[in-house]
Amino acid sequence: MSPQPNHCSCCLTRRQCLQMLSGTTLGAGALSSSLSLCALGQDSAAPAPTDFVDAAGLRPKPEVRICGTFLEQPRPYWLGWPGTTYDLDKHQKEYRASLDQSVSRVGVQMNWEAKPVSDEAGLDAWIAKVKDQKPHALLVALQHMQCWKWIERVQKDTQTPLIVFAPVGTAFTGHVGRAARLPGVHIVSSLEWSAVEAGLKMVKAKRMFEETRVLWIRGKDSNETVMDRLGIKVRAIPRDTFNLEFDKQPSTDEVKDLASDLRKKAQKIVEPDETDTVNSMRAYVTAKRLMAAEKACAISMDCLGMVSAKLVPTPPCGGWTLLQDQGLTAGCEADLFGAVSLMMTSYLLDRPGYMNDPVPETVKNLLIAAHCTSGTRIAGFDQPAAPYILRDHSESSLGVAMQILWPVGEPVTLVRFTSPNEMIIDTGKVVSNVQTPPAGGCRTSVEIAMDNIEDCRDVKGFHQVVVLGNHRRVLQGFCELYGIKHVHSPQLSTFAEGAQT
Amino acid sequence: MRYRILACLAISFSPMLVPAAEPIPIHSPGFPPSTLDAEGRLVEDWGSLGVTLRGEGVVGGPTVLQAVKLDGVIPAARAATNRGAVRLIHTAFRAPAFPSGVDVLTVRVEEARGRPAEVMLGLDLPARAAIGLRTVRLGGRVVLTLPDESRANRPLRDWGYCDEATSLPGWAKPAVKCDPAFRNIRAGMGGVPIVYRFAVEPKNAATVVLGWCESHWAEAGQRPLSCRVEGAAAQTVDPVGKWGQHQPGTLLFAARDENGDGKLEVVVRAAPGARDRNPILNAIWIFPAGESPNLERLLSGDLSPSAARYVDAGGENDQSVYPPGKLEYRIALPAGGAQELSLFVACPDSSAPLPDTSTWTAATLRRAALDVWLAWPLN
Repeated sequence: MSPQPNHCSCCLTRRQCLQMLSGTTLGAGALSSSLSLCALGQDSAAPAPTDFVDAAGLRPKPEVRICGTFLEQPRPYWLGWPGTTYDLDKHQKEYRASLDQSVSRVGVQMNWEAKPVSDEAGLDAWIAKVKDQKPHALLVALQHMQCWKWIERVQKDTQTPLIVFAPVGTAFTGHVGRAARLPGVHIVSSLEWSAVEAGLKMVKAKRMFEETRVLWIRGKDSNETVMDRLGIKVRAIPRDTFNLEFDKQPSTDEVKDLASDLRKKAQKIVEPDETDTVNSMRAYVTAKRLMAAEKACAISMDCLGMVSAKLVPTPPCGGWTLLQDQGLTAGCEADLFGAVSLMMTSYLLDRPGYMNDPVPETVKNLLIAAHCTSGTRIAGFDQPAAPYILRDHSESSLGVAMQILWPVGEPVTLVRFTSPNEMIIDTGKVVSNVQTPPAGGCRTSVEIAMDNIEDCRDVKGFHQVVVLGNHRRVLQGFCELYGIKHVHSPQLSTFAEGAQT
Repeated sequence: MRYRILACLAISFSPMLVPAAEPIPIHSPGFPPSTLDAEGRLVEDWGSLGVTLRGEGVVGGPTVLQAVKLDGVIPAARAATNRGAVRLIHTAFRAPAFPSGVDVLTVRVEEARGRPAEVMLGLDLPARAAIGLRTVRLGGRVVLTLPDESRANRPLRDWGYCDEATSLPGWAKPAVKCDPAFRNIRAGMGGVPIVYRFAVEPKNAATVVLGWCESHWAEAGQRPLSCRVEGAAAQTVDPVGKWGQHQPGTLLFAARDENGDGKLEVVVRAAPGARDRNPILNAIWIFPAGESPNLERLLSGDLSPSAARYVDAGGENDQSVYPPGKLEYRIALPAGGAQELSLFVACPDSSAPLPDTSTWTAATLRRAALDVWLAWPLN
């Protein structure tokens, strides 16, 4: 494990390379972009003890351009909703102010028309402008019921994802029902401005998918593909890459500090000793280095295969928790769509979840969602961490896997991409944290009372991602905006008729 | 819009140094190559795809094959031929579509003599290829996705399926003696509808009977089906709930060519709320209007020979409404004009994307290739 000279592809030592590049590049992503020029290989040298990859710099920061306008009818209004008493200027001023705040919070660029579109000529001009500018999405705020006829035209002529804000007083069920069935249209028929902001976040999340490269660490293949619809780049690298790089990873100050921190903040430590926590943090730093070297910002690894073959002294679970807390997707068992589902909660809901092995608790009719890699910042990346107990990985009795204690009584959502074209969405409420022992299985193990599912045996999917809060409507909105079918588990029991053979 | 994008794509390549006579490989990082051969045929693990031209003023000519790099980085092959009235250029590259890639073949026809030209552009496919609405299949594998423009002006047979469903012969295991069609199905894998069209006299009526035998599900409620036969009231049926697993059953419809287009359409799709979204269909019988066949005798197979049309869906006598072998498109060009078609072709170990579920376009596939090649470490 002694430091070796570090050579990158540009024939400088790794340190020289980093010094040169860090001197020319500014900003949070500097180190990650510089490391990508020094891609790791089987013969790559060990990192220097002071090498550091900033996790925040790895998270995608896409450019997001949105065009928007108010749609109204020629003034003054007389009869017809929203009505003569509806103060257009006042409402539009309020909505503009709210929009400015949301744009700043979400981090998107908004090109909002100075004057509302109020007739066919104005609509033609705006559509022509949008087609020329090619934004990532459109936002229109309806200010009269007669404007619904324009929604289909905007959708058809621009072929651009469209968010329609219809404040109460501008739509009936028929309007919304028809328009919501158009491809790539998400309707917010409400006075809740937060739903409009959520729409902006949907657009940003989609752009983040497009800017994501996930490292798929499994088997022996090296290749790269791009996922349909979501645009995620999937870079497959041989499984051995990880354990070989792990072997080279020294116990740097970063590793030791993180390990110490991990122990200090634990509510309780059961199995892991100091070496376990240090190894766990070596796995974390190794993962960061690999991501930076491969220009990636997410990881999905055949961890169980690696543990089973005894290639590493620790499963990566503890390190994966840290990555998740910093907005970097770290998926288990090389389940690619499990990782994509984790990305969904990270990018759209700004919080980590955990992919789970679902267990029906048939006596209490609950679902137990169990795995070893939950994030701790489950209420949001900027929120306090949930309490945790340091445990080992129960299946192997190795390393560190954190038991995150989920808040009892709080709502949760289960989300799972089965393909880029379909997402399972279910919701429920946390009933308890299951202890191991007496139970077997994974360390973070949460009992959930499912909403609108008569029989827990009917819960759809595997490795669904559990995320704190009820996010059904937002996830459905994302699906509708991007043409993804959303499905849920059967409401009525499919076991009612008993076995039929 | 589409043509504008394609035109932009076509001009932004840079030829490499030497024209090649040997087949030129195309690939994406980490995947086995396909080749464009000396005749300009794209050679894949399932067979090859050629492009033919005929029409007034079209003559033969040598093909010049060249390795090129699109956008300066994507390895591609280009074949160009002067064909008298027109010039034919096709360009192929590998797009790294998850999971195993897809080849993109862009066929460009340019008017060459300074006056309007009309040609028939054909796709030369293996004889056993089953040509559907937007795809071409070999067995269950989708080997070619056709451009949207291919819907128009294609010759049709007088009956057949025109969907993206899959034929699964021998899938069902009827528990009773019955018509052999109950052993075979067409299945709308991935939730696509099953669609058949039958030529009829415009506005004519007919009696249509559909048949099923569900052999996967044992419980009711798993695969309810929504059935729409043109001119008849829609019906929903749960084959296991109505007849049981492995039990054949039929539904009768009083059909009519409602829109007067001379075609009777039959559509079977998953009913709303169905847990299994893949619809199935075993058989179709068509009888003259007003005729009420004895459904027991029909089920036994006795009436199949006397039906005006008997379709063993997914079986040996089933067919696509599109004739096999060669697809042709009429291309009319103004003086100095050009037109392009982009085809998505299955490369080794892959299938071409299904238009019903895929969002890939020629432009987004090109973009994906560019992104991947630019970031690939060994590039």
